[in-house]
Amino acid sequence: MDRRKNIDTKKHNQVACCDIFNGEETVILKLEMPGVPKENLDISIDNDTLIISGKKLMPSEDGNYIIREIRNADYYQKYTLDDTIDRTNIDASVKNGVVTLILSLKESVKPRKIQIKEG
Amino acid sequence: MAITKLEKHNLYDPLEELKRLQSEINDLFDINSYPSNTGLFERNVSPGMDLIEKDHEFFLVCELPGLSQEDIDMSIASNVLTIKGTKNEEKESSEGTYFRKELWSGTFQRTLPLPRSIDPEKISAELKDGILRVTLPKKEEAKPKQIAVKVK
Repeated sequence: MDRRKNIDTKKHNQVACCDIFNGEETVILKLEMPGVPKENLDISIDNDTLIISGKKLMPSEDGNYIIREIRNADYYQKYTLDDTIDRTNIDASVKNGVVTLILSLKESVKPRKIQIKEG
Repeated sequence: MAITKLEKHNLYDPLEELKRLQSEINDLFDINSYPSNTGLFERNVSPGMDLIEKDHEFFLVCELPGLSQEDIDMSIASNVLTIKGTKNEEKESSEGTYFRKELWSGTFQRTLPLPRSIDPEKISAELKDGILRVTLPKKEEAKPKQIAVKVK
């Protein structure tokens, strides 16, 4: 019963819905974070871990809720990056509550054509 | 279930096992580690919304990530509010495969019967950061009034 009390009062984090697209030269992450303005979004890289966190801004809670379906929880998720991703070349943008992260692959991993010299 | 550690059970508390079972079931419903649109109650075909009643107005909040103003169509007819919309899937230009796909695209429609006390002429809506906020003011006669009573 004590545990239940903890659950009710603690503000939870939630995991945003996410698309991960594996392209030829890039990896594109798309995360749905409605209610997170650009200022509240924090994306950081710690060694091999990509951390995306966003504080959700919801309207004031006073008033009588007739329907309540939206979870008022901050977004927080971690991804592990492997060696093929270039840590210095990451592009992030936010539009209409969808965060798009474009991670580039390292030059050495990108597919390349080998020229054949005529003998 | 994998191999679990043998725990020392308390002989004098027969409810301990039950408490452990309860906490395990609570963990099942703890949505922390899962995205909000998986599980028993799928919410990926209609967006989640909140309806809040305040003293002078109703306040509707609707989560519509990835939709712009042109994609959303909102109408009111005989006190029934309809929110329609289309979410277009943005195709990636380069070739590749999806490693994970959780975002949803398609059309949705949600209708909401409103209380009679709402003034349909004064509804206003705003879309910001993927959240639609609709303000539905109450009619003048439905607002709370303070009547001073003189005590003689």
